[in-house]
Amino acid sequence: MSPELVNIAIGGIAVLGVIGLVFGIGLALAAHKFSVEVNPKVEAVKEVLAGAQ
Amino acid sequence: MRWKKFFLFLFLFLFTKAYPSSFVMKSSFLGKDKIFVLFAGPVDKKIAEDKGNYYIYEKPDPDIPLRIKEISLSEDRRSLTISFYEELNQHVPHVVHIKNLISEGRKIGPVVFSVKKSYAGFLLAILIGAMLVHNFVFTKYLGLCVFFGTSRRKSTAIGMGITFTIVMVCSAMISWFLYHYVLVPLHLQFFQVVMFIGIVSLIVQAVDIILRKINPYLFKAFGIYLMLVLANCVILAVPLLIVVNNYNALEAFIFSLGAGLGYFIALFLMSCVREKLELANVPPSYRGLSIAFITAGLFGLAFMGFSGMSIF
Repeated sequence: MSPELVNIAIGGIAVLGVIGLVFGIGLALAAHKFSVEVNPKVEAVKEVLAGAQ
Repeated sequence: MRWKKFFLFLFLFLFTKAYPSSFVMKSSFLGKDKIFVLFAGPVDKKIAEDKGNYYIYEKPDPDIPLRIKEISLSEDRRSLTISFYEELNQHVPHVVHIKNLISEGRKIGPVVFSVKKSYAGFLLAILIGAMLVHNFVFTKYLGLCVFFGTSRRKSTAIGMGITFTIVMVCSAMISWFLYHYVLVPLHLQFFQVVMFIGIVSLIVQAVDIILRKINPYLFKAFGIYLMLVLANCVILAVPLLIVVNNYNALEAFIFSLGAGLGYFIALFLMSCVREKLELANVPPSYRGLSIAFITAGLFGLAFMGFSGMSIF
């Protein structure tokens, strides 16, 4: 393969990787900031109940 | 406060454009094959009516001059009418280059200005075009899976339509910016599809997270549809069409808004009909999805009435 094509491929992978990383960090921050507190007792009670229905 | 300044800058950045040189006060298309120009002062008749003095072209093709048929100056020597042999394509701006102009003995060097239709009219044409004339469901046959899946009841159709419009506008704007400021400078335009899919999933995920916290009631109503939006072809088609049509940021916004509203209209109309169809006496072999497809075909025929319509 010619070196130019390799360069384009590497550049493309790098750009996509960086964009994906930025999006991922953004989403993680958003998830942290807008996290919804779930009462742990709800899960505990569900665990104890029979749960047939 | 900081955000206000930011939006002000964004506003200026989007709407600032070059104004025509001050000696030309007004320029517009007149009829099908004429251009009308109004000068600030009276100009010399002999030079103004000389055809060799003008070089007029469509903005995309600067090396193809348009053939001028006649140039006439009005009585007060201030307004000029240039007529051409062929009809003008008024959808593209025309650049008029006047090499020499003399007003009351004063030389006003070369004058260059562009003639175009009113921009607001163009934006309205994009909006109506995306909404009705080129409706994504009825004339382009895109997004049919979600269209048939969620148009059974009016309430779900409305919820889906609103979710769709929001996600479409957000993803189209982000993909416009990333395409023009990241992909084009790096010559990576062939990555557009991969990138746009990523952006759509980002938006859907972000709306999911934020809505869950801010408005749980709305989240309960929209929750199911958000995941349906993720795998939809209309959402992907809009940024691709924006790239093909070479829209700027404002036009891209209007186009995506029109596409979302068009999808909303299609879903709403279809759900109204399908609610009525529940009560109708449909032959057994046509019941369910098949009569829905026939109805959609009839809607498509009705929307054909808009085709070829040109506004402004």
